[in-house]
Amino acid sequence: MLKNYIKIALRNMGKNKFSTFINVTGLAVGMAVAILIGLWIYDELSYNKYFKNYDRVVRIMQHQTFNGNTGTQNSMPLPLAGVLRKDYGNVFKYMVMSSWTQEHILTYRDKKLNREGNYMQEEAPELLTLDMVKGDRNALKDPSSIIINERLAKALFGDEDPMGKAIKMDNRINAKVTGVYKNLPKNTEFNDMDYITTWALYVSAEPWLKSNVDNWGNNSWQVFAQLQPGADLEKVNLAIRDVKLKNVARTGDNLAKSFKPVIFVFPMNRWHLLDEFKNGINTGGRIQFVYMFGIIGIFVILLACINFMNLSTARSERRAKEVGIRKTIGSLRSQLIKQFFSESLLITLFGLALSVVLVLAALPWFNEVADKEMHILWANPLFWVICIVFSLITGLVAGSYPALYLSSFQPVQVLKGTFKAGKNAALPRKILVVLQFTVSITLIIGTIIVFRQVQHTKNRPVGYNRAGIVQILMKTEPVHQHFDAVRTDLLASGKVEEISESSSALTQIWSNWSGFEWKGKAPDLQDDFAYIQISPEFGKVSGWNVIDGRDFIRNNKADSNSMILNESAAKFMNLKHPVGEIVRHGDSKYTIVGVTRDMVMSSPYNPVKPALFVFNREAQAFMTVRVKATVNMSEALAEIEEVFKKYDPEAPFDYKFTDSEYAQKFADEERVGKLSAFFASLAIFISCMGLFGMASFMAEQRTKEIGVRKVLGASVLNIWSLMSKDFVLLVVISLVIASPVAYYFMESWLQNYKYRAELSWWIFAITAIVAILITICTVSFQAIKAALSNPVRSLRSE
Amino acid sequence: MIKITNLEKFYRTEEVETIALNKLSMEVKKGEFVAIMGPSGCGKSTLLNILGLLDDPDAGSYLFNDIEVADFNERKRADLRKHNIGFVFQSFNLIDELTVFENVELPLIYTGVAAADRVKKVEAVLDKMQIMHRRNHYPQQLSGGQQQRVAIARAVVNTPKIILADEPTGNLDSSNGNDVMELLTDLNEQGTTIIMVTHSEHDARYSHRIIRLLDGQTVVENIMI
Repeated sequence: MLKNYIKIALRNMGKNKFSTFINVTGLAVGMAVAILIGLWIYDELSYNKYFKNYDRVVRIMQHQTFNGNTGTQNSMPLPLAGVLRKDYGNVFKYMVMSSWTQEHILTYRDKKLNREGNYMQEEAPELLTLDMVKGDRNALKDPSSIIINERLAKALFGDEDPMGKAIKMDNRINAKVTGVYKNLPKNTEFNDMDYITTWALYVSAEPWLKSNVDNWGNNSWQVFAQLQPGADLEKVNLAIRDVKLKNVARTGDNLAKSFKPVIFVFPMNRWHLLDEFKNGINTGGRIQFVYMFGIIGIFVILLACINFMNLSTARSERRAKEVGIRKTIGSLRSQLIKQFFSESLLITLFGLALSVVLVLAALPWFNEVADKEMHILWANPLFWVICIVFSLITGLVAGSYPALYLSSFQPVQVLKGTFKAGKNAALPRKILVVLQFTVSITLIIGTIIVFRQVQHTKNRPVGYNRAGIVQILMKTEPVHQHFDAVRTDLLASGKVEEISESSSALTQIWSNWSGFEWKGKAPDLQDDFAYIQISPEFGKVSGWNVIDGRDFIRNNKADSNSMILNESAAKFMNLKHPVGEIVRHGDSKYTIVGVTRDMVMSSPYNPVKPALFVFNREAQAFMTVRVKATVNMSEALAEIEEVFKKYDPEAPFDYKFTDSEYAQKFADEERVGKLSAFFASLAIFISCMGLFGMASFMAEQRTKEIGVRKVLGASVLNIWSLMSKDFVLLVVISLVIASPVAYYFMESWLQNYKYRAELSWWIFAITAIVAILITICTVSFQAIKAALSNPVRSLRSE
Repeated sequence: MIKITNLEKFYRTEEVETIALNKLSMEVKKGEFVAIMGPSGCGKSTLLNILGLLDDPDAGSYLFNDIEVADFNERKRADLRKHNIGFVFQSFNLIDELTVFENVELPLIYTGVAAADRVKKVEAVLDKMQIMHRRNHYPQQLSGGQQQRVAIARAVVNTPKIILADEPTGNLDSSNGNDVMELLTDLNEQGTTIIMVTHSEHDARYSHRIIRLLDGQTVVENIMI
């Protein structure tokens, strides 16, 4: 029986090549999208699962309250890890303090590389269950050791055995390779990290750490831990909740105490997808994209299923006779249902095969857009089971309506040849077309709004001129020590406008300080400023706008205890005439000499944070160079490199362009925009294919009517509008439904951004025009073809 | 074999109620060859559809082999149909996507005959209908007469007890029509009961008995000699 079903299905497919093409391609495209989204979701959900103790690894975090708003952060005071280890050893199996992942210069013989890595405490390899290729997980016990991943081992040592070799870090400290571990997969938290070296080396590289051993107010480090088996998260949180509060009280740090710090553990299984906190409550995070893309995937598949349903039922009059005959001969309705299901399953399986090919073709591009390393899980039986099960479900959904509808025909009617699907028979098809276009139009509107939000934010005035600026993260001292000489050389070259030093790059804020005092500060006001130390050339390099007072003046001794505020800071401090006011912090005293226009240094979607730019000739971390606008950038870079090498021949010259660093801030939103554009185009493509098929069917069905009309004097234009009108109406209905739906969802998406584009009516108007144009183009081909046909022919065919 | 009593069938639209069969009673014995005649709209086809269990009556009794089938459900009717009744239509009603062989094979598939037996049976009946040489052709590739022979082959392949033929020669020229009538006669002589609806007095003469219908009622019965 099944053989017979398949046989007739194949012959039907062969006979109706056009609708088979639409069905198979549509389903294949839909399934390819679903597989891509499935792989993406799989990748997201398996994030960090590489770590074997995924369920028990936690990050120590804290809530702090500033002026009634609770903020949540993962930077911790230095003494915390030790106290937790000592006092709560029964709940924590491992406790690992870590620096932030940062670039360092690694030197082996004459090879120098700039690579990112962390300083971590010795239990890190166990906590991260590193897969050691050489050495073992005790490799960090020796205070001068470093463990490296295979990627770095290859790059630094080539084919040599790295074990026991000495690596010089930042031309300052020596570390001995005691282990090599397998590269961490891209979908893990630490995939940027190429090596781990010891906390002891950190302390020797950064002697200032010693002054923080009992400082609970400086939150500058990360702490990771692994819970003991069976430790209950809630109980742990309750136990460690006040550990910082008690200690800031003990040390008399009233400022830190006023922020009411609450320490808690945040499990690894929430790090990636559920890492957002709003006012101290864990509210979600990237998981919203998992839901969003999951829903889009299902919708796109559904669109393809709708094509199948519509084309099959539209062709029902042709299949009716077969149904009648089969029933007469003795077929049960259930057997016919099975037959039609086997047909749709067959088509779905063809679609699946084609979709795998499409996925293979699209995956490199998709990986690039999504910034992932996904691949088809050929060897994973689960992947195939899901694909097959999913295809079966798709086949059943796509086949359900045709199977139930076609099998319901009564043989007496269909065999008499009097069978004509009634007027209402087309109604379900129309509803399905409306559904298709509602989904497509919603996606289109959503995509436009995402791009517009990105564009709107990109157009936001940043408050400085970011073109032609090069920023260099300094890992070694010599250039800083010879700053004046470096500057003189660069200026003398004629290629450089100015060079400055600062503690943060223009595109980042590395440090936030609290506890400032100024005249008129409300007693209960808790302050929190971005704190940037700069050399006096910073203003000229950045091109900021001083709107009150003046910029710092080089060689002006009096400026050494002065600061410049941004507008937001002036407003926050409620200073009408800030210039000349005194700001105190502990024993330090600064005079405000100027106010600048706000500069967007962190997220462009958020308001600019109040910032203090403090004059400091010892500011390090970053060199920022403004190249003369008239000078060729690569020539300028060569010049800068030469000068830097002159003073620090050991350090590789490594730079970043400020404007591309700034552009990075849009990467996430642009990714979402590109992906939704991709899905929206495919959705509209699938819908149009269905529309095209429907139009061709409609033209065929109305051949006689068109013939009669032409004989009676209808023009091509009349016929064309007659044929197109119905479809345009359906799309208009879809627009009416989709617009408020899209408005609702996008409005709530935009709420995530403080700096956002308003939703304007023209987005909807443009979408409407485009959707109607696309519809007319799709339908017109068939409509005009029908209109141009010879009426004699069509009438004779009756 | 077939006994109907006071059979009624109405067709209703919103405004009109048409009586297709009006308390019709008749009987067909095993081995008979009966022709049903009458003007268009007299209820011939309705009667045939009810006899063939494709349609159900609104009132009255229908005994098939002494079993009341008037109130059978869809499944039971399909089951009775596929084992006992063969159909021949004016417009042949072959499935275009299946070959001659596959069309004839279809009823055997629905009655669950094993594949090897099916080949034997289909080949035997195609041979008998003299269309063996066309076994792998599709219906559109055959002449009308050949198509009707395939349709008859399909009707008899299951060796039904009764064949219902609805104007079997209506779409054929006279020579092909005569061939078809000869085939039906042969089948009848081999023991198959045949009920045939026809407009053609010529075809009706092949039968044993003519039932003439008018407005859903039997008006005359002629016994052929």
